[in-house]
Amino acid sequence: MVEDSKETQPSQQNPSEAEKKPAAPAVPPARPPVAPQGATPPRPATPPPRPPAPAQAPSPVASPQQKPTGRRTFLKALVAISGVLTIIPFVPWGQFLLSSVSSHGALQRQKIVLDLNTTTNNNANGAVAGKTVNVNDLTSFPPNSTWLVTYPTSGDINVDSQSPDTFQKFGLIRLPTELGGSNKDASAFVAYSKVCVHLWCSPNYDPQKSSNPTNETYQCPCHGSIYQLPTEDSKGNLIDAGKAIKGPASLQAPPTNAIPMLTLTADSNGDLWIEIPQWDPDHNGVIGYGRNYASYQDYILPIAQGKAKAPGEP
Amino acid sequence: MSKPPEKGNVVSRLYQWVKDGLERTVYMGVQYTYPKRFVSPLGYLGVLTGITFLVLGITGGFLMFYYQPTLAGCGSLTCAFASIERINNTVPFGWLLRNIHYTASNAMVLLAVLHMYYQYFSGRFKIKNEVLWVTGVILGIITGVEAFSGYDLLFNQRAGLAIEIGSSLANASPLIGGTLRLSLFGAGFTDFVLRLYAVHVFILPMIMIILVFVHFPRYLVFDLPVISTVVGGLFLVAAIFPVAVGIGYSPSNPQLTIPEWYLTGIYALLRTEFDKFVMGGLMPALLFLMAIVVPFVDTSKKLNWKDRPFFTALGITTIAQILITTGWGFYINPNTSLPTLSRLYVDPALYFSSMLGVTVLSFAFTYAFLRYLKAKERVRRAVAPMSPLLTKKWVFIVFLMLVGAQLALNFFAWTAALTNLNAMTLFDVGAILITFGVIMHLYRYSQSLPF
Repeated sequence: MVEDSKETQPSQQNPSEAEKKPAAPAVPPARPPVAPQGATPPRPATPPPRPPAPAQAPSPVASPQQKPTGRRTFLKALVAISGVLTIIPFVPWGQFLLSSVSSHGALQRQKIVLDLNTTTNNNANGAVAGKTVNVNDLTSFPPNSTWLVTYPTSGDINVDSQSPDTFQKFGLIRLPTELGGSNKDASAFVAYSKVCVHLWCSPNYDPQKSSNPTNETYQCPCHGSIYQLPTEDSKGNLIDAGKAIKGPASLQAPPTNAIPMLTLTADSNGDLWIEIPQWDPDHNGVIGYGRNYASYQDYILPIAQGKAKAPGEP
Repeated sequence: MSKPPEKGNVVSRLYQWVKDGLERTVYMGVQYTYPKRFVSPLGYLGVLTGITFLVLGITGGFLMFYYQPTLAGCGSLTCAFASIERINNTVPFGWLLRNIHYTASNAMVLLAVLHMYYQYFSGRFKIKNEVLWVTGVILGIITGVEAFSGYDLLFNQRAGLAIEIGSSLANASPLIGGTLRLSLFGAGFTDFVLRLYAVHVFILPMIMIILVFVHFPRYLVFDLPVISTVVGGLFLVAAIFPVAVGIGYSPSNPQLTIPEWYLTGIYALLRTEFDKFVMGGLMPALLFLMAIVVPFVDTSKKLNWKDRPFFTALGITTIAQILITTGWGFYINPNTSLPTLSRLYVDPALYFSSMLGVTVLSFAFTYAFLRYLKAKERVRRAVAPMSPLLTKKWVFIVFLMLVGAQLALNFFAWTAALTNLNAMTLFDVGAILITFGVIMHLYRYSQSLPF
């Protein structure tokens, strides 16, 4: 019955004694300063023998080395399995890394409220700061004009207006009349990201130069990248909004040569809404990275015209 | 570069090769010991403190991904608080990491204090260990400041109170008070958050890591079963006693709160309404100073606490005084009709008489107890040989049961994570870690059995 008293009576030891003991065998014997031919000196496979067991506990069994059977291997395998099972539960914790600071929880639809310091121009009415945008109101929101909006909003117009985070800023543009800017639906508007896909400066819309749609329109002040308004194809359909046509951004490979856009809709009162964006190159683009410019005619415009539904749109 | 060793399989050869390559680095300057059987963790509480520091570093590093050390610009005027609410409520597994970080911070303070007292009573701070002891005391103080700066970052009501006390304490220092406050805390709430953040995540941890190189002895016990169990236990406590984010701080609407338990002592001292600097600065400094000079006063060659009655009594007195002071810190006059300041007032006559009383009692108790021990001195009882607790058959059975339990716990943790049962997930993962610790210990135990 008594097999090995030495290993099974730890708790009765004086702690200070007990912890000094195991340290002793683990200290390897002093090595020769230079190993012959750089070879590693052989290490003992097992720790140095312990002092003999107390006399009152003669060990009747064979020493462990005599029969290295598969049982030990089995136990080792179980320990390895246990180690793997201990690590596995931490794998889903990686989801922690996949959230984002700039998305405050889930994105939501948002009725457009203009920033208080929204940039106004000759064609736009400066009194609209802080107002909601109505597509029927051609006086306050005339064609060929631009305003600043924040998405996602903090819910507080004052905080939004003071936030310097251009990754949440968009230039809302009512298109010139020849591009359908006087239409009384959401297709009269586009909302371009305020982050240039070249080096993240902040482009601005210049209405003075937009009489010719291929002329300079949404221009970045840093390196002169220019993003076009939608152009008309041979059948008169609007296509390719936000594609860079000049400057360093136009030289980048697709999809990094077009500015990300928001999806806009108008409700029955004519109030303009931002639909929940899909931040990938084939839909609304990735801010600061780019967008496939064809996503305007394939995805954004049909929703603005009411021919398709955005995710989460009522 | 050393040649790869010829013996063993690929894994062991690679391990050996890397280990030989580290021969000249600082890592091999420390001798790690993996004890062949269970030894009392009291002797290596310092290592356990270091492990909780590691847990804090890992969880804290991840929390930095979402924490915003600012008050404006993110959608609400207490941005820091809002970002912690988001970590807690929205970010997947954020709740778990935050609660582990909080519990580990408490555990680190507690383990550091226990470590200090064990070293004190066992007399190990003596004889060539003076430098280790002094750096240990400094590390302990830094640990406290680190914990303080950490819970200020929440910017909830409790943090607001702590910042207020901390900055007014700095302000109360003679001569340099105003400069000290400005340089440590800055000039406004946003400065507070940003500076406390820099101090918490970089400056103090760096100082601690540098000091640890001085503080580490050459031999360290690295007991995987106990470490795994302690970390698992940390998870369990965090799961059972999760900490709420609290109410956001608002200067116009301060609420009655109590600081964290390791700071309530200083809180009680301040509430006697004597001079701020003397009570909040000099009194705690007296305790730390006493701790620092102890190895240079207690220079006898006697290590055992029974042979050093005065210093044992002194140690017991400090424990009793800390307990009493902390108790006073938690005390708030229950009479709600009184104004807040009067409810918080600690009567100095009562306070100091209780401190004096407990000192006398501690000394009397210690001397009486030592006399009693001497009278009852016996020959140490011979330890009777014990039979093994488990035969080899049972080792296999228990092993399989434990691995099966781990498998089941993995399943439970997975389903709990799917259904967003945060505390349940944390509890299960903690139980998995503890099971791993038990398995490792059983494996160690089985090494002594014949097979």
